[in-house]
Amino acid sequence: MARTVKRWLVLLAAVSLLLVNAVPAAGSPAPYESYNYNYWKEAVPSPDAYLPSRIVTGGDLGVGSFKEPGDVNVSPGGWIYILDSGNNRIVVLDKAYQLVRVLDGFIKDGSKESFHLPGGLFVDEKERIYVADTGSSRVVVLDSTGKWIQTISKPESDILPAAFQFQPLKLTVDGVGRVYVVAQGAYEGIMQFDEQGEFIGYVGTNKVERDYREYIWRMFSTKAQRAQMVLFVPTEFSNADMDSKGFVYAANMDPGSNEPVKRLNPSGEDVLKRFGYYDVKGDIRYRSNTGPSKLVDVKVLGNGMYSVLDATQNRVFTYDDEGHLLYIYGGKGNQVGTLKTPVAIERSGGHRLILDRGKNNLVVYEPTRFGTLVNEASALHYQGEDTEAVSRWKEVLMLNANYDIAYIGIGKSLLMKKKNKEALEYFELGMDRKNYSVAFKRYRREMMKEHLGTFLTAAIALIVILIVTRMAVKWRRRRQIDREAGLH
Amino acid sequence: MKQDYIKFPLHLIFHPIDAFWDLKSDHRGRMVVAYTALALTITMMILQKEYAGFLVNDIDPRTINSFVEIATAALPFFLWCIANWAVTTLMEGEGRFREIFLATGYSLIPIILIYAPMIVVSRFMVQEETSFYYLFNSIAFLWFLLLLFIGMMTVHQYTVFKTLLTMLLTVIVMGIIIFLGALVFSMLQQLYEFGYNIYRELIFRT
Repeated sequence: MARTVKRWLVLLAAVSLLLVNAVPAAGSPAPYESYNYNYWKEAVPSPDAYLPSRIVTGGDLGVGSFKEPGDVNVSPGGWIYILDSGNNRIVVLDKAYQLVRVLDGFIKDGSKESFHLPGGLFVDEKERIYVADTGSSRVVVLDSTGKWIQTISKPESDILPAAFQFQPLKLTVDGVGRVYVVAQGAYEGIMQFDEQGEFIGYVGTNKVERDYREYIWRMFSTKAQRAQMVLFVPTEFSNADMDSKGFVYAANMDPGSNEPVKRLNPSGEDVLKRFGYYDVKGDIRYRSNTGPSKLVDVKVLGNGMYSVLDATQNRVFTYDDEGHLLYIYGGKGNQVGTLKTPVAIERSGGHRLILDRGKNNLVVYEPTRFGTLVNEASALHYQGEDTEAVSRWKEVLMLNANYDIAYIGIGKSLLMKKKNKEALEYFELGMDRKNYSVAFKRYRREMMKEHLGTFLTAAIALIVILIVTRMAVKWRRRRQIDREAGLH
Repeated sequence: MKQDYIKFPLHLIFHPIDAFWDLKSDHRGRMVVAYTALALTITMMILQKEYAGFLVNDIDPRTINSFVEIATAALPFFLWCIANWAVTTLMEGEGRFREIFLATGYSLIPIILIYAPMIVVSRFMVQEETSFYYLFNSIAFLWFLLLLFIGMMTVHQYTVFKTLLTMLLTVIVMGIIIFLGALVFSMLQQLYEFGYNIYRELIFRT
């Protein structure tokens, strides 16, 4: 009897173990804590927008592990190109992260040439591969099969100094084949080449941030001291990407800058919208010993949204077209999904890919329900479909009741439907004073139109009553005086 | 009753030179009015933070604390009176402490009179009109400063220059008082801690 009881107990214990494993663990499955900034610039917890789903390593693909990979790009056709800089090769994957082929060189004029520590690559609509071959001071253009088309080497131009070293780091290509190259030591901006590989000029110089303390200090220094000081030179760009309209998004690594992300129009002016509560610069609160965000890559996601990759805290910050911070994911660490030395961010369909040079792998992130809803709602808002966005924003609010952008989104839709009073409430919740003012102006006019008649009637009636009572009081007083005088 | 508590203060803010002289020579001032003016000013400051319209109110509601508000208004007020009295006694000012207190208190009246309607009106303003709100708030403050200046000048029978000088000195003395106060407080705390440590030593010895 005792044995059967024991057996049952053991069985029960075993089953309970199985059951425990079957129930998903409570809490967030993310290896990082997601947060967002509120109106008062405090970091408050937020639901995760993206979760790591898998990692891709060279070993898994059977091509030997990556060595210091430098860049990743997804072609419009959906193939993923990983630039394996340390091994001087390009690894091409399909949408399902399966190996397609490996390019470890190209044939030019009958002889085989290989890359030498390439830094960046880009694949255009015709599946042409542009490689910034940093070590060989050139940009190589290959067709989809890996056949050599063209080489852009050190440009000959009057505006370049004779000692100029052409070391392309990153590049991007627009719809008509103009190549934008971020080169080492090119403080003048991004180098622009036409489709024949001729140097056109620079676009988008970073302004020199004037440090007044340094400036005053400089005034009091001797010439010899001044010669030893740091030069005021503009910072270099770290990376660039192209949106569908042909505007270049560029990131720079200047840690003191409040505008490290730029959107350059064809004439090189910065036209990025910055209507959010705070600057578009990654973390706005940080410990002084960690320092501000260092943006190493920028990726245009479409519908006005873009992500920047911060190499200080290894996080991704995604903004919408107006400069509102939508969500933050990623973090430092050694688990799957946290990053060691991130160098590039890409999108592959709904997935986000981050190339980690420190761990020699590619991390694949998938959107959560929250992330998907925010993306969809932002896209709808960008396309002007505010009414359709409302249902998404409402769902977002169920998942995160502190999501200001959702309140503003609903408010804007209500404003368009002329529901001014309801819109007021939402704008107040979203702390959007500008739109609140617009809604309030309309609401006030409505109220005036409706009640002005009543108000005026009441006012006139009040005045009449006042006059009448005054006269009555006067008349009475006179009567009293008369009576005292014995006139009655 | 009405004459002293309502009509005279209202007369004072529009005719300060005459009225402050009346306040001093004819003993028209009432301490209750000065205290009430201070209390109402503090109330207005709290109400403004709490109820001013959304477009002009950039205060995090979590940070509103009435005790802090009271301290930030009442403490400088009393400090001003004490410091001014200390300075002017040494500089041949004719004002007594009571008169300084009255003049300072009565000067606060414009702040109350302008803040109260502005809190209500700000709730019906749109963004373009908020500049009026800020304008009127500045007017209230400048009016207060002007009244304080005339009040000090009249109460102490000073020249313009000497009034400005004593007012500046008063601010400096306020700073000194705060410094000394902090010093004394810190010393007392250390004394207490010293005594408490000895007490503990004795307790644990047995």
